[in-house]
Parts: sequence; structure tokens; C-alpha cells
Amino acid sequence: MFGRLIKFAWRSVWKNKRRTVITGLAVGLGLAALMFTDALMIGMTRHMIDQTTNAWMGDAQIHRDGFRETGRITLTINEPDSITQMLRTDSTVDAFTFRIISPASLQSTMEMKPVTMIGIDPEKEPTVSMLETAVDSGSYFSGDSTDLIIGYKLAEDLDTDLGDLIVITAAEADSGLSSNLFFVTGICHFGSDDLDRYTAFIDINTAESMLDLEGRFHEIAIRFPDSELGMDESLPFWSRFSICGNRAQGWATLATQVTAMLNMTKLSIVITAVILFGLVVFGIVNSLFMSVYERMYEFGVMRAVGTRPGTVSVMVILEAFWLGVISMILGSTMGLVIIWITWKTGIDFGNIEVSGVIFDSAIHPILKWSGIWIYPFFTLLLTTAAGIYPGIHAGRLNAAEAMRKSL
Amino acid sequence: MNNEKIIEAKGIIKTYDDSGVPVQAVRGIDYTLTKGEFTAIIGPSGSGKTTFLNVITGLDTPTEGEVWLSGRLLSKMSGNELSDFRRDHIGFIFQAYNLFPVLTVEENVEYIMLLQGVPKEERHNRVMSMLEKVGLADYAQRLPSRLSGGQQQRVAVARAMVSKPSLVIADEPTANLDSKTSGALLDMMRQLNEDTGMTFLFSTHDEIVMRRAKKLVVLTDGKLDGNSPPEEYE
Repeated sequence: MFGRLIKFAWRSVWKNKRRTVITGLAVGLGLAALMFTDALMIGMTRHMIDQTTNAWMGDAQIHRDGFRETGRITLTINEPDSITQMLRTDSTVDAFTFRIISPASLQSTMEMKPVTMIGIDPEKEPTVSMLETAVDSGSYFSGDSTDLIIGYKLAEDLDTDLGDLIVITAAEADSGLSSNLFFVTGICHFGSDDLDRYTAFIDINTAESMLDLEGRFHEIAIRFPDSELGMDESLPFWSRFSICGNRAQGWATLATQVTAMLNMTKLSIVITAVILFGLVVFGIVNSLFMSVYERMYEFGVMRAVGTRPGTVSVMVILEAFWLGVISMILGSTMGLVIIWITWKTGIDFGNIEVSGVIFDSAIHPILKWSGIWIYPFFTLLLTTAAGIYPGIHAGRLNAAEAMRKSL
Repeated sequence: MNNEKIIEAKGIIKTYDDSGVPVQAVRGIDYTLTKGEFTAIIGPSGSGKTTFLNVITGLDTPTEGEVWLSGRLLSKMSGNELSDFRRDHIGFIFQAYNLFPVLTVEENVEYIMLLQGVPKEERHNRVMSMLEKVGLADYAQRLPSRLSGGQQQRVAVARAMVSKPSLVIADEPTANLDSKTSGALLDMMRQLNEDTGMTFLFSTHDEIVMRRAKKLVVLTDGKLDGNSPPEEYE
């Protein structure tokens, strides 16, 4: 009987082809819009994470407790040798590098600017950050202790260019002041104001001797095989390396603005889904009620000849199910085509900056496997559920009244 | 014909609410239908024929009075019991749009047996045998929309009778048919009545039906106004 009802419902759905196609397209468009929005948000999220982690931060960092809050250069990482040894053997770590960080002032022949001076390991730094590739004029570190790389905005502010002399003055760990001469050997372009205007990069050995730190560092930047691990609060890495007064944190904790933006993105997807699914439900309920009222006499005859109320309800719910299947097929197809086209072409946001992240290249929607089935599945589920109310209504029709009203 | 009561209606009153105004469509009818009858309820439009048929078959509930159908009091039955009772004991033929438009002739005729859970092979055999009787065996796979009005009513007759109900109710079965088709349809039903002893109750104001009925019941303004063989009515 149930099999026959399924067949009966399928044919009833196609009795009014135009309405079925219009309803299917309306619901399908909602589904396609949702699939596309989700894929675009994943693409944007991926871009934001990549921008945040690849440019400079890495997927995780280790600092001495209190260093990030105070910036005091005496707060160097405790037990750096054993931490290094542990990092080398940790399976979640792809690469890592040490950094020395200190406030400093840069003086050119024309200007003086306060900056963050960062001493980096020229060999290891490219395994974690994009500093090497961000140098778009001049060259990366050559091994000379006077090499200096600054951002293009800082170069503009200091009215300086490649080869110019710069004096860097910074406080030593023992409270004295240290000044060194450098030559601008590279000008970099990260696309971030922090790095392009307020940061200067020098060799880590030079920074070590300048600040009198002798084998001590302020930061270890770490690269994981997958940046999403940096969001995983349950990762054992955090507790393993938050020892000896040090603290290990992922990018999601370090870049709170980006994390807030990502959470907002997730919330906006949920809101979009609720609105679109709400419209889907109303669309289906409306379409089914139209169908029920149009076929009032038919339902009256069904009831008259002995069809139980529940069977009539099931019939209408099955019609809703088929409408859902049709909508799901139309919507998924439209959604996949739109995603494929935009994935091929990319979407250019024209260098807008959101939470310190610049969308300077085209965003490509990313379709996850879950996006292929979750939204279509929920469309089918909701569409079928939307048939319950009209179904109950049809089941409760008084046979005599239904036939009388429709004549 | 024996005296086994198929329907026994006592003091039936049915009042409708027509935009706040109560309208009494049936005004206190006592009526008994016995097994094997081929009876037509006649009366002008608005006399309450359809309402009366709906009430005595459980399609509608009476405002007052009680209906006994094959010995069972309808008001004591639940919705599902009433549905099952109609499915198993009553065949319905309505004046138009009788058939489910998305089902083929064969599927329409087997529908009630499907509800009854009759096995597939038996369903098929009974459907084809019934379609043979109404002369539509060659049309089994057609949709109703591809049949004439007369052919559709013959399919409706086949559907009403294929499950061998004890009572067939036909509400204005010839209303949309020409006289030749009406006559042929009525002759066919009369033949079935004589061959199987199945009870038929019609509502009509069609003379073709009246002439073929074995008994006429006159309904005027919601009240029974007489009960006679057709020759006496003429």
C-alpha cells in the first residue's frame, strides 16, 4: 500500500506541472543560494586564516607568560633548548622558527619612527611566514649583520629607499640602550598595516647581540600540517608546551579579531539558513494547501470510499517529500553550477580590509563534502515536514463537506 | 428479496450553518432499506437527497437521530472504523469527478481492494473481470481523462462493485450523461443487482433512473413524501 501511495503522490505532484516546477525552482534557488553562501564563506574563512597564519603569525606561537601583555624584553622563553628538542619530535609540528621582538626606533637621515624590531632566523623563517616572498624590492637576508628589511609604508614614512642607512636604537635586556647601523636591503609588502608600517626585520644573531640576550628568544612561531589545528582547543600541543612558565597558543587565540570575524561568519550562515529554510517551509505549505484546496473533491472521494484520515495525510506528506526531492535536485544542480563557475573565476572583493585581513586576491568558494549533502538533506527534511500541517488538514476533511464545497 | 435491514435511520435531522443562518436540510426522516433493493430517492434539487445519503452512509453526521448500518450504530464508530466500514461494506458512485485523475482505470478500480489489503494477483483478476463486465477491459491502462463521461461512470461502477460491498450508493449517477449512456449504465447496474443481489440506493431526479428503479422514495423539502413502486409514481 505504501509503495502505491508513493507512486500516487509522485503522479499527483506532476498533475500541476507548472506549479511543481515553480515551487521546485523557488525552493531550489533558496537551496542553491545557501550552498553558494556556505561555500563562499568557507572560501573567505580559508583566505582569512591563510592571510592570518601564512603572512606572519604561523599556526601557533609559544611565548613566556606575560610577554604578549607587557612586551618586556626580559620575558624570554624559558628552557629554550628542551622546548626546541620537544618541537623537533612533536608529530603535529611541521616547522618552527625563533624570533626576538623588541620595541625600537628607526632613524633615517630625514625621519625617526617607533617600530617593533623583529630578529628572525633567515633560514627557518620562510618555513613559517611569508617574509621572504613579501620582499618585492631589494633582496632577502644575505647573511650580513647590517641587513634590514622594512615595509613599503615604513620606507615611505622614513623617506628612505634601498641601500640607505638606518640607525636602530633599542633597549638592552640589562636596561642600557643599544644603537646599530643598518642598510635597507629589502622592502616588503604584506598587505597588513602592522607589518608594512610598524615593523622592521633584522637577523636574529644581530638582534641577540644588540639586546644582549645570549641564546634567549621571545617567540617561537610554529607551522602545523593544517592551519585548522590552530583552532582546535583540544589539541594536546597546548598543554604539552605550556610549561616552565611558557604559554603555547593557537592563531585563533592570538588573532582574536579574526576569530571573532570567523564566529560572526558562522553565525551569519546560520541566520541565512534559518531565513531561507523558513521561506522554503512557507513556500511548500502554501503550495500544498493550494493543491489540497484544488483537489478537495478528490480527497472527499478518497475519504468516502474508505481511505483512513491518516492515509490521506500520508499521501499529502509524500507529495511534500517528492516536492522536496525535485527541489533538492534542482537546487543542488544550480548550487553546484554556481559554485563551480565562481570557483573557476574567483570573486574579486577589490582589496577590502576586514578585521585587519586584506582581501587582495580573488576569493574562490570552497565546497566541502558536508555542504553537498547537509543543505540538500535539510531541504528534503524540512520540505517533507512542511507537508505535515497540510497533510493533517487534508486528513481531517469531512468527506461530504469536501465534495459539497468543491462542486 | 429478504427483509434483512441494510440501513435503518430513525428521526434523522440535519441542520447546516449557512453563514450564521441555520438551514435544515433533512427534517426528521425514518427510513429502512432492506437487502437486494434497487431503490431511487427522488426529489427536486435542494430537497435534501444528497444530504440524506451522506448521513445514512456516515459521510456526514446527523444533527439528531441515529443510523444503523448493517446492524451497527454509526455514531458509536470512530473515524477509522467508519472509514473501514465504508471501505468494506459500501460502494460509492458520485455524479462526476468520481475517479482519481492520476490513476489508470485499473488502478482506480483496484484502489479499494488495495486499501483492504487484497493480494496483487487477486486484485488484478477481479479488476479485469469487473472491467470485462462493464465493457472496459481494453481501457485498463488509460487515464480517466482519456475516457468519455459514460466510460468514466462505468469505471466508477466497476470500482464501487469490485470489492463486493453489500450496498452501492449512487448519488445522481447520470447527472452528466446523455440519455442513451444513462440508460445503458442503469441497465448494467440493474443486471448486477439481479445477478448478485447487491443492494442499490440512488438519489436522482432523472426519469431514466426512476423508470428502472424497483422502488421510489420521494423526498420533498427534507421530508419523506412517499414510498412507491415506479409505476405508481407515474
